Amino acid sequence: MLPLILPVVLPLLAAFLVMPLARMSALIARALGPIVLTTSLVLLLPCCLDPPAQPLVLAIGNFAPPLGIVFYGDRLALLFANAVALFFLLFWDWRGGNPQQARQDALMLLLAASATGLALSGDLFNLYVFYELAAVASFGLVSLSGTGPALVATVRYLLVSAFGSVLALAGIALLYLQTGTLNLAQLGIDPEPLQGPAGLLAFGLMVIGFGVKAELFPLNYWVPEVYASAPARISALLAGLISKLAVLILLRLLVLVYGDTAAPQILLFLGILTIFFGEFSAWRAQDFPRMIAFSSIGQLGLVFIAFSLSGSWGVLAGIAVALHHLLVKSALFGLAHRWSGSLQALTGSAQRTPLAAALFVLFALSLIGVPPLPGFWTKILVLAGLAQEGSALAFTGLGAILLVTAVEAHYLFRFALQLYEKVENAPAGFRSFWEFLPSLLLGAALLAVTLRINPVADRLRAITQQAADRSFYITQVFPQAAAHRKDQP
Amino acid sequence: MALDFVSILYIGALGLLLLGTFGLVTTTHLFRLILALALAEAGVNLLLILSGYRGGAQPPILGFGPQDMPMVDPIPQALVLTAIVIGVGVQALAVAAAVRIYRRYGTLDLVALKAHLEGDLARKQGIAPPKSAEKPAGERPLSPVPPRPQEP
Repeated sequence: MLPLILPVVLPLLAAFLVMPLARMSALIARALGPIVLTTSLVLLLPCCLDPPAQPLVLAIGNFAPPLGIVFYGDRLALLFANAVALFFLLFWDWRGGNPQQARQDALMLLLAASATGLALSGDLFNLYVFYELAAVASFGLVSLSGTGPALVATVRYLLVSAFGSVLALAGIALLYLQTGTLNLAQLGIDPEPLQGPAGLLAFGLMVIGFGVKAELFPLNYWVPEVYASAPARISALLAGLISKLAVLILLRLLVLVYGDTAAPQILLFLGILTIFFGEFSAWRAQDFPRMIAFSSIGQLGLVFIAFSLSGSWGVLAGIAVALHHLLVKSALFGLAHRWSGSLQALTGSAQRTPLAAALFVLFALSLIGVPPLPGFWTKILVLAGLAQEGSALAFTGLGAILLVTAVEAHYLFRFALQLYEKVENAPAGFRSFWEFLPSLLLGAALLAVTLRINPVADRLRAITQQAADRSFYITQVFPQAAAHRKDQP
Repeated sequence: MALDFVSILYIGALGLLLLGTFGLVTTTHLFRLILALALAEAGVNLLLILSGYRGGAQPPILGFGPQDMPMVDPIPQALVLTAIVIGVGVQALAVAAAVRIYRRYGTLDLVALKAHLEGDLARKQGIAPPKSAEKPAGERPLSPVPPRPQEP
């Protein structure tokens, strides 16, 4: 049970130890974060590479599930918990020399703890608390530099995020009024009270509320300004990882409670709006960070369209798109660390930094969905699913995806051509190799997945099979419920 | 028709929530926005408390009052306690940021601050600053009537 509890507890503990330790010894304080994250990774990696047949379920403090708090680690949750430790190490501030170093490390550890908690929690109460913790830690990280734009962007982000939490909490209150429980598995046992209009209203409120972090349409205008004014490493973590964990909450709700209702239609509709808003804004963007920030909104729209597909196909497509986006968008923000200026100023960058430009072209091709790359397979999964669905809204979604793919291709190729233009004074290159090492590693991972697409697809299917199975989740948390169900056929 | 006590509380909770939402949508002053947020949060907290309320029941504390009486549901109360603490923390953070923003820009109007943000970001990234909604975009248009030639 250690892999479930320690990756949440250790970073949380270390987050509050970093500041006092920094007064005694800067070296120990700086080493603490990487040590803790590596420990989490070592604990989680075996569970992810060689997953146990049964998910790990932990009732904290031995209080039985409906009353106590449950951590639920199936293959999907363990994969995301693993990704948290891995990506935080990848985008850790190894360089140092920042006067706010200790504060930054403390906030990063806090974000890592809450992100792992979001991946593992099986209870809406707990999810809400971890979601808020992640929000507060990200406010701190975005505004850490203390510059004017960072502060204004943080306050605007804070207001949207807090309003989103109010809506999500209202949704949770409505849900509790009708069912009297917040445990996801118990909600799944008897979802009928929630399938009326009031239950759908609760789902809508939670979608809009948790959709703030997931960059979903109505409340996502904070995205470009925050990602443009925050350090690129932080943007990489927020856009790549934290948005996916918000998506994971909505996926659990969809699979366990709202699978048979009109809820997928709500997601499809919002997803189409999101994808249009994101990609057309990215087409108009004039600087690199905001271009990839808007493109990230578009990709998240694609994730929501994928999850609206019925059955395990939708879960498979959605997880595939989300993981692909996690890899590619984090890597692009890794490049933005150096390429923080306008698109115009980056003309001819390929002369000094050929490797970075080549990486950009690789990621762009995968985002658009050019055949051998993983991006192609994820997009074809969504398109095939929409075609099978056959409703008018599904065909609208299909047309929308094809249309915005053309837009996406246009602005990404436009910038790629600009990178390879011959100019007199080429922009300066990267200061050191370490600056774009994360992007390089992620690019290598993308190529590795391309070459071994079949084993990866098999692994993904196994993950999906567990994640999309409602009764499996319920019997794992409540073994007695299964026996009860067998008694009354 | 007479309203019972609980219905009045429900109406009050929804009213606070709507009032806060209305404030968040319509005002642009940062401090008023934070106050509107506090109103909306109070409404939601009341709604949560009501979701676990049972008429005439005991507080959910063991050894408090008679043992055989029904108790109100403790889970929403725990959730509300957490939500209140989080809400206070977030609002304190917002006010602290507002103070620093006022020292820097001398205004708390979010529309003006947004313009500052766009301008600063544009300067940092080296792109043309966005067009202002107040100032005209270009030269004044020429009058369609040609100026009368000067009399000698």
